[in-house]
Amino acid sequence: MLVLTVLSVVLMVVDARFDTLKPMRSQMGLVLTPFYWLADLPVRAWEGISDQFNSRSVLIAENEKLKAESLLLQRRLQKLATLTEQNVRLRELLNSSALVDEKVLVGELIGVDPNPFTHRILIDKGGKDGVFLGQPVLDARGLMGQVVEVMPYTSRVLLLTDTTHSIPVQVNRNGLRAIASGTGNPERLELRHVADTADIKEGDLLVSSGLGQRFPAGYPVATVKEVIHDSGQPFAIVRAVPTAALNRSRYLLLVFSDNRSPEQRANDAAQAQEEADRKAAGQQATPAESSTAPASGTPAAAAPGAGASGTGTPATGAATSVPAAKPGAAPAPGASAAKPTASTPATGVPATGMPATGTPAKPGAPKPAATPSSKPPRDH
Amino acid sequence: MVGLRPRNGWVIWFTLVLALLLSVAPLPSFMEIGRPLWPALFLAYWVLALPHRIGMTGAWLLGLAEDVLYGSLLGQNALVLTLITFLVLALHQRLRLFPIWQQCLVLMVVFGIAQLVQLWLNALTGNRPPTLVFLLPALISALLWPWIFAVLRSLRLRLNVN
Repeated sequence: MLVLTVLSVVLMVVDARFDTLKPMRSQMGLVLTPFYWLADLPVRAWEGISDQFNSRSVLIAENEKLKAESLLLQRRLQKLATLTEQNVRLRELLNSSALVDEKVLVGELIGVDPNPFTHRILIDKGGKDGVFLGQPVLDARGLMGQVVEVMPYTSRVLLLTDTTHSIPVQVNRNGLRAIASGTGNPERLELRHVADTADIKEGDLLVSSGLGQRFPAGYPVATVKEVIHDSGQPFAIVRAVPTAALNRSRYLLLVFSDNRSPEQRANDAAQAQEEADRKAAGQQATPAESSTAPASGTPAAAAPGAGASGTGTPATGAATSVPAAKPGAAPAPGASAAKPTASTPATGVPATGMPATGTPAKPGAPKPAATPSSKPPRDH
Repeated sequence: MVGLRPRNGWVIWFTLVLALLLSVAPLPSFMEIGRPLWPALFLAYWVLALPHRIGMTGAWLLGLAEDVLYGSLLGQNALVLTLITFLVLALHQRLRLFPIWQQCLVLMVVFGIAQLVQLWLNALTGNRPPTLVFLLPALISALLWPWIFAVLRSLRLRLNVN
């Protein structure tokens, strides 16, 4: 008893204070994946069965909804291309540093920490996929947390709402900076040390400020739910609700920030473009490409994108996409005119890639884009 | 108990692995707060029934496995499970004679102590649960004890584990 107690205490101290056990731990983590997979099996089986018996009408309704959503998002994306371009130019005028584009990798949740007092999840991407310690994790609606433990094929993510987690944020409306700490409640964050007179009110969107150099700037974190001014307290009590669905999201995005300079990125993009052109010229005999290209701008953008994934970007090709710049959605006339890009003579479509980005458009994206591309003009 | 040769030891380890699986199985969040201490329950039965087969070293190893699985500090659950085994071993002559509901009461105290130690260790590493509900798993585990006891006992007798 005594020996084992001393042994466990020593182990705990070593594990907490030094890094010597980390590699061993991460190797042992290999065993852990099949465990969580097995534990999750009944849930998966149930989901599979319910999918099988899902009625056709439900699926059709879902399909309709997704189509409508995709249409809306496409429309926003067209505006985004011009806005991004405008933003880059304005920033150049102001001589401030350029916006950094990020690449992302899609991960899937495979387990939740069984301890109800810690908010940690297990995801199916690990060191082999390029995941690193402290990497920010997003879902479709906002920041979720950061990677705290990397194992070969899995990693652990500490969520924003864990009591040990804090994130620097700023109010989107006026840039007021604050620190949002987790409370242990999955629906609540608290802003620490906000002065009573600070301009912050209910409904304000908090975005990550990028200070602290861990999270990328500008992603939504939470919306302010209530601001309590208590004259007995030195600071205002500000409570916020995370925008990300922390306890519901199954798919999440791991962000790799791209810290090349804009010139480098432009060069890389140009090179990738040239290579793609060469490839396309070689393949022109094949009819498949020429038949898809004239339909809209997007398929053409995807083709060089697929070529660029090998050269421009360090991480995986298939699962990556750029949130800020899916440039190709060309139907908006302003978007294509604004870009001083090297056009692709081989396919004959003008203005396919933005020079500042060099990262590939998601290969899956063009397919849905082909159908709604005729509709957006009616939307405007 | 004629020959004390170890027999069918795999059953013990199989049930312990099953306990580990149960301890990470997904639960709805309102139930998660009262998740029974499966490894502790299964371990307590085997220690009580076959103290010569599974002792504190076994418990320690199981605890280490649990630590790796949970991603907690290495040695944290190992210490807790060793403590439970120690208490059960110290009491096992008496516990065996108790009626089942009395066993439940004693085990509730044992698990409660274990949860307290767990709380202290968690507090040292900085995440302290804000309320007293961390004691709920001890209560629920104690309530589950009669069923665990019956199932494992029948398993032991049927497979003649020794």
